[in-house]
Amino acid sequence: MINLTVNGIEHSLDVEADTPLLWVVRDFLDLKGSKFGCGAGLCGACTMHLNGNPIRTCITPVSAVAGQAITTIEGLGNPDKLSSVQQAWVEHNVPQCGYCQSGQIMSATALLASNPKPNDQDIDNAMSGNICRCGTYPRIKAAIHSVANKSATQNSDLFTNASVIKSMESK
Amino acid sequence: MTSLSSVKNHSRRNFLKATSIGTGGLMISIALPGCAALKNGGMNQVDGQEQWNSNAWLRIDSDNSIHFVLDRVEMGQGTYTGMTSLLAEELEADPEKIDVSFAGVDSIYRNTIYGIQITGGSTSVASSWQIVREAGAATRMMLIQAAANTWEIKPNDCSAENGQIINNAEGHPQQGQNLSYGQLAGIASTYSVPSDIPLKDKADFKVIGKYNKRLDALKKATGTADYGIDTELPGMKYAVFTRAGRWDSQIKNFDASKLKALPGIEQVFAINKPSAIGIAIVAKSYWQARKAQQQLKVQWHESELDKVDDASIFAQYKKDLAEDNGKNVRSEGDIEYALENAAHTISDEFEMPFLAHATLEPQNCVAWAKPDSLEVWAPTQSPDMAQVAAAKATDYSLSDIKINTTFIGGGFGRRINQDFVAEAAAISEISQQPIKLIWSREEDTQRDWYRPSSYHKLSASIDKNGNISGWNHQMAGSGVFDYFVGEAAPAQYPFAPKFMYGFLESAGKIGEGIIAPADGSIFEGAEALPYDFDHINVDYKKSDSGILVGNWRSVGYSHNGFIVESFIEQLAQNPIVKQQGKDSYQFRYQLLNKHPRAQAVLKMAAEKANWGTPLEGCSQGIAIHKSFGTWVAQVADVSNDALENGQIQVKRIVCVVDCGQVVNPDMVNAQMEGGINFALTAALYGEITIKEGIPQQTNFHDYQLLRMNEAPQIDVHIIESDEKPTGVGEPGVPPLAAAVANAITAKTGQKFNKLPLKLS
Repeated sequence: MINLTVNGIEHSLDVEADTPLLWVVRDFLDLKGSKFGCGAGLCGACTMHLNGNPIRTCITPVSAVAGQAITTIEGLGNPDKLSSVQQAWVEHNVPQCGYCQSGQIMSATALLASNPKPNDQDIDNAMSGNICRCGTYPRIKAAIHSVANKSATQNSDLFTNASVIKSMESK
Repeated sequence: MTSLSSVKNHSRRNFLKATSIGTGGLMISIALPGCAALKNGGMNQVDGQEQWNSNAWLRIDSDNSIHFVLDRVEMGQGTYTGMTSLLAEELEADPEKIDVSFAGVDSIYRNTIYGIQITGGSTSVASSWQIVREAGAATRMMLIQAAANTWEIKPNDCSAENGQIINNAEGHPQQGQNLSYGQLAGIASTYSVPSDIPLKDKADFKVIGKYNKRLDALKKATGTADYGIDTELPGMKYAVFTRAGRWDSQIKNFDASKLKALPGIEQVFAINKPSAIGIAIVAKSYWQARKAQQQLKVQWHESELDKVDDASIFAQYKKDLAEDNGKNVRSEGDIEYALENAAHTISDEFEMPFLAHATLEPQNCVAWAKPDSLEVWAPTQSPDMAQVAAAKATDYSLSDIKINTTFIGGGFGRRINQDFVAEAAAISEISQQPIKLIWSREEDTQRDWYRPSSYHKLSASIDKNGNISGWNHQMAGSGVFDYFVGEAAPAQYPFAPKFMYGFLESAGKIGEGIIAPADGSIFEGAEALPYDFDHINVDYKKSDSGILVGNWRSVGYSHNGFIVESFIEQLAQNPIVKQQGKDSYQFRYQLLNKHPRAQAVLKMAAEKANWGTPLEGCSQGIAIHKSFGTWVAQVADVSNDALENGQIQVKRIVCVVDCGQVVNPDMVNAQMEGGINFALTAALYGEITIKEGIPQQTNFHDYQLLRMNEAPQIDVHIIESDEKPTGVGEPGVPPLAAAVANAITAKTGQKFNKLPLKLS
């Protein structure tokens, strides 16, 4: 049995230790927002937060993150209560096919949480691990700047889910 | 997203005359465009809710909800928003309040341009511009009639607004009151569809050309859009499928003995069906199946592709073209005379690589074989072809197969070929349970239906004054039509028994270019050369490489945009031509004198990019190309410093587009931005190489995609137009590589005969 804390909720799962976190979250916890793109940590579609840092979950064995705070796209906000980054994504019409966007939003959120006023170079550095095949990069960049330009970015803007914030703080 | 050159004839007479299948041709349309297709579906009771299916596209429920059945798939190109906007405009409803679902297979949803239910060729708005608006307008008229009858007033005294009919009858006791569409649905459902359905004038548009939101953005920003890979069924198992490195290899034997003891493994079996040859592993979880695959040993028979590589393929193209010019696709004047009598001639050759689609959502499909039916959930661009593929791979007949479509994580033409559906259907039939088949990235890259490689030979004649008199373009490569007609032809004839599928495929191949328009996947964009020369000749020699090929965003235009605009640049830079004192922009502008829309696009691109005054430290290049009815011109600013360091860094692309009447301006901007970055990926990195018949690239480390730090600033400008709408999903792609290459040539003098661009 492996204990996982995902979006502030603890789970105890009977799953093989080497199963990548991505497949555990998608198929055992039925959180389908995180996507499979490459299986090799090259595209970022599977990005989640581990203790607030973006990680590639398609190559992260679930046993390596047992007991630590994991946040997925579902932990940021939902269609009725968007996080500030999600709101900016909607306002800028960022998604096209949309398949990479959960990963993009997770990387952008982690960037803004650690650097509330990133410049273009900071954004390039933080976001170049996330591939968008539809080429929405100009809008992603504009959306990140728009969040940064609003008044001080707080965790409660980036994560609308209180139990997610609590679990991040307690770990 | 398909090539399928433009179809010129939709007439009923032509339909009756045609005895065989067309290509992109596939033109033989049973669902005739226009109101003949609108049929009142009447009132139905579902879960205690009264539902009026006012036609195949639109349902209004008694709770006042409005439901639009989208008959094109959403793969990023914006049909979800664009088509909903068309409906909302005529229905008089808020687009955001319309619930959108994806259509199943029905001949009424066929693409009126292709005659099959396909999302491709940048045709969605162009082909549905009329019918979806009529679907909305007819429904609004019926609702107004219902309100007028209720209030006992004239329809002219009613108006529709935001999901309500308003009583405007002077002095009427209910003047100023509203009835909602939901309240009126029951009455309206008893009326027949009006025969005359006037559409709104442009001056009255509230949504078309103005609406700037993206309706699927909320779902996609919250991880709540369901893609094919997200499909979940009770009791569903996971499958992986091991294929040969060479697509035509047959199974010799396989050894699964080590798999039986592995956790979660339920079944391992071989499949040998059309478009599905390999070994299936079915397991409780995806990871169990994927891990077990490493222990599977398969031996494959020798294949005709064993000795095929890029060198042998290009040698074949050249040999075939040298022996025989193939088919003449354009002939004006006398090119031989022009070349023989020219003061000067210039000639060049171009070689274009195979390209993978690399949709970020790998191929996948969920299938559930039950005793009497097969249900499929597929991210497919062509549900009726998916149905045929599933029928061919199983014992089910077409009428027993239901196809559900989903949001699609990138299409770009890849999902016109239905191998992933065939595999999933066959696996579920043998496994006798619902399964989800997921391809790995490596499988997706190595078993793609690639943009065909091709070989091109060009020459031009120049007179002593520097005028170009003749243009000759000859080319060889595989045609993509041969690689999907096996599904497309039967899809046109859903009542044909399965034993006829082979005949329909053969008839389709024979009919290509005769009773149906030719497969333009190699020559489109070359035959339509817009420049004004007295002598023009374009020949295409079909030369099949044996490698799987398919439609790749902008298809034939994807390479011909580069080739034509590169060779034109060589002409512009020729010292004799240069004596006339025209730069690359002026040279093109003058030669486009028969295409005023092209000239306007080119002119605006030059103005917006400050042509002649590059960004600081940059060099400029320009290119223009028409595809899918749409003109696009681009100016690239490329960094000089980076070039000196052996790197290509594009700083800015200015893009001007004329796609006729615009439905959603921001969606057009987005498609241009996306098309540019897609094309820049191909220009800088795109290349699938073949060794011993096996595609060599596997994942994003050796098939690189553009990343944010390499993405240029993009400025898009849309030409105002009242012309009928044309494509936007693909036309941003073709001019880009040439614009970038021409900028590099301007700085370094290096010319490029191959893609991707490699600095010497």
